[in-house]
Amino acid sequence: MATTTATITLASGDIADNSFSISNTATLTTAGTDTGLSEFTGLARKKTNSGSNTVLLDSGAGEAGDVTADKSAKVYIKNINDRGDGTKFVTILLTAVEIGRLYGGDWMFIPWAGGSGKDIEFTASDTTETTLEYCVFYE
Amino acid sequence: MATTTATITLSSADLLSDNLSLSATTTLNKGGTTATGLEQMNYHRAIIPTGTNFDLIPESDALKDNSNYVYIINKNTDVTDYVIISINNEVIGRLYAGDWAFFPWSCDLSAAANDSSIELQAFTHEVIVEYALFHVGETLLTAADS
Repeated sequence: MATTTATITLASGDIADNSFSISNTATLTTAGTDTGLSEFTGLARKKTNSGSNTVLLDSGAGEAGDVTADKSAKVYIKNINDRGDGTKFVTILLTAVEIGRLYGGDWMFIPWAGGSGKDIEFTASDTTETTLEYCVFYE
Repeated sequence: MATTTATITLSSADLLSDNLSLSATTTLNKGGTTATGLEQMNYHRAIIPTGTNFDLIPESDALKDNSNYVYIINKNTDVTDYVIISINNEVIGRLYAGDWAFFPWSCDLSAAANDSSIELQAFTHEVIVEYALFHVGETLLTAADS
């Protein structure tokens, strides 16, 4: 088994009257065990210059086909575009349900309950070429 | 405005044949702005009992269609204890003990979205979660006795 960790640090010096800082590290394990995840898609990039819905992770195909609802999987996605004027973003969806918007430079890290039809998709806010980096850790 | 950053570091010495180390930092800004930081934050710690799917972060008009960022961590230590995060009955995934998630949240109030509240249900045992919402606004309730 492998030991893979994901650490998050949220920090601000001025969102409250005292500095705010939270840091936590998760060890990525298979569902309900302390055995480390051993499968990894590798870091990949996908570009779009369309405002149409695009499948980022097809839960029924490739490595993502091994991801099911009762298994453990973690997804990392980053919009590597520059923020620009802040009006361009990528909407991340799970099937047809909108999760949120990744503006240039934003990232997200979520567990993924894959399975039939549980694709992770994205839609760019306009036709500006947008690039996402992403990877999946899974069992 | 405030400056709040979110940093992720993914690392492993033995997942691959060489070290894996990936790090990214973003500044939490308001949507539609070049660099105006989000100024509002809620931080909670809650014990989630089993058996019911709860609205952890309810949708509201003040939050809609802008930049909101959500952080959730399962603080339990028993590796079998987990929560399921969902939006509009669509399961995002399971957070087992020690796991965390960080993601943008649209808070879509359109009819098509039905209910974009962030929901949480605990399984196996009650689960202690801590969660934060960095957001653009809050719908404040007028006092009933005002």
